[in-house]
Amino acid sequence: MVQAGALITDIGTSGPFVRVTFAAPAMASGLAAGRFVLADLGDYLRAPLFPAHIEAEEFNVLVPPHHPAAALRPGVNVDLIGPLGRGFEIPAAADRLLLVASTAHLPALLPLTHQKPGLSEKPGFSIALLLSAPTAAELYPIRLLPPAVEVTIVTADGSAGQRGSIPDLLPDLVRWADCACIADDPATYPALAEIVREVRAGSGRRFAQALVVPPMACGVGACQGCAVSVARGTRLACTDGPVFDLLELR
Amino acid sequence: MTIDLAPNHKAGLALANPVMPAAGCFGLGTEYGRLVEVDALGALVVGPLTAHPRRGAGPPRLVPTPGGVLLHTGLANPGLTAALRRYARVWARSPVPVIVHVASTAPDEVASCCQQLAGLEAIAGLELGLPDTADPDEATAIIQAARASASQPLIVRLPLVWADTLCQAAVEAGADALTVAAPPRGTAWYAPGNHFVTGRLYGPFVLPLALRALRRVAALVSIPLIGCGGVHTVEDARAFLHAGAAAVQIDGAIWRDPACLAHVARSLRI
Repeated sequence: MVQAGALITDIGTSGPFVRVTFAAPAMASGLAAGRFVLADLGDYLRAPLFPAHIEAEEFNVLVPPHHPAAALRPGVNVDLIGPLGRGFEIPAAADRLLLVASTAHLPALLPLTHQKPGLSEKPGFSIALLLSAPTAAELYPIRLLPPAVEVTIVTADGSAGQRGSIPDLLPDLVRWADCACIADDPATYPALAEIVREVRAGSGRRFAQALVVPPMACGVGACQGCAVSVARGTRLACTDGPVFDLLELR
Repeated sequence: MTIDLAPNHKAGLALANPVMPAAGCFGLGTEYGRLVEVDALGALVVGPLTAHPRRGAGPPRLVPTPGGVLLHTGLANPGLTAALRRYARVWARSPVPVIVHVASTAPDEVASCCQQLAGLEAIAGLELGLPDTADPDEATAIIQAARASASQPLIVRLPLVWADTLCQAAVEAGADALTVAAPPRGTAWYAPGNHFVTGRLYGPFVLPLALRALRRVAALVSIPLIGCGGVHTVEDARAFLHAGAAAVQIDGAIWRDPACLAHVARSLRI
């Protein structure tokens, strides 16, 4: 964990998102899916940024056009604190990885679609993505995902993929998976947890992992502000999470 | 050259620099790792800690407000006994004095905390929080309970709104120094949950309120004062020193910029 300036080296677009690339040699290598940095973007609270793609000395984030990071420009230096938090943990024995996200929350899962050698190159390893959006126009473009990722699309109006929502298609995919990583509005999590309980009763701890990102102040556990309710009380998103066992969330 | 925050106490509380973190902003001492250059500071204020463990408030605890943030932790902490078990060695190795913030407010619990901490060399001082609703009699009872049990110098953190009302009672009850003041309380509308959240306010807007309180207290008492509230820059800290503070605590600014602690401390080197 360091506090360091990171140079913006590139700004672009990636589907409905603005892609911002940070040169951050001091922290890029410690980032992973679900881990984050806190960026000083001018507001009183730093903004949590989740990497969508990670290289040895740089990483990029995908943010919606209204996000303060979308206004950054190449050459600007941004003060970052990171890497922070506990990310998604894929068991070494997992062969079938299920990713579940609404398009708005997808970027935090994208590093899992570009797994390093040892996982995606493991014989028989496969990744499925259940991706939702209100309409086809708001969907993350499938062509931007690695071809090896098998994508199932669901839209609220049926303009792409199947008509419906994530819970409609989740049961079959949960039956198939060894491990599920979820990034969506936490308000949807109780319904998803219910499906996991029904379909995979007795599944191991952390079979289904979900990202929860409340407002954060310090990012290191000092302020005690980013509480998340779990089965046995509260945990802090910044140090205990922000990835939690879906079945333990309350 | 040092600042003594407890010149009337047998042990004194000598600081090599007037800058320290405020209670509730720095954790229990290890959270920031190497993000903060601790040896540049005058002291560490760790906690809050209570006699018994507290789970704290459920979410949401944090609500962004215009120019700052509202925080309601419900004093989540592992309890003094567990904290001592886990952190006493860390505090003993600290390059600067460690001050433990005791947040229990029932006199018997305060006495129990101070008894546990008495004689521990790792702890150079105690800071005692008072309830925001305390009147002079209640404040006196709490401080006397602490004074009777504590061996270390006793700093009393005053509620912002009642700082000038309580300061003389605090001195008479045995405070060695006063922190002016605890963050003010406010209420914010939490739209996602459709309800209000009440908690402490942090942000630059607190500075003028705390400065006013400190100047009023400085006119009433003559023990060392520690300015606290809304310090984000070197000039903010200097304003407290000009107003009569012997030392300064930095609160929410640490969250935005952990490096600011050492930066302000180096700029105010004695």
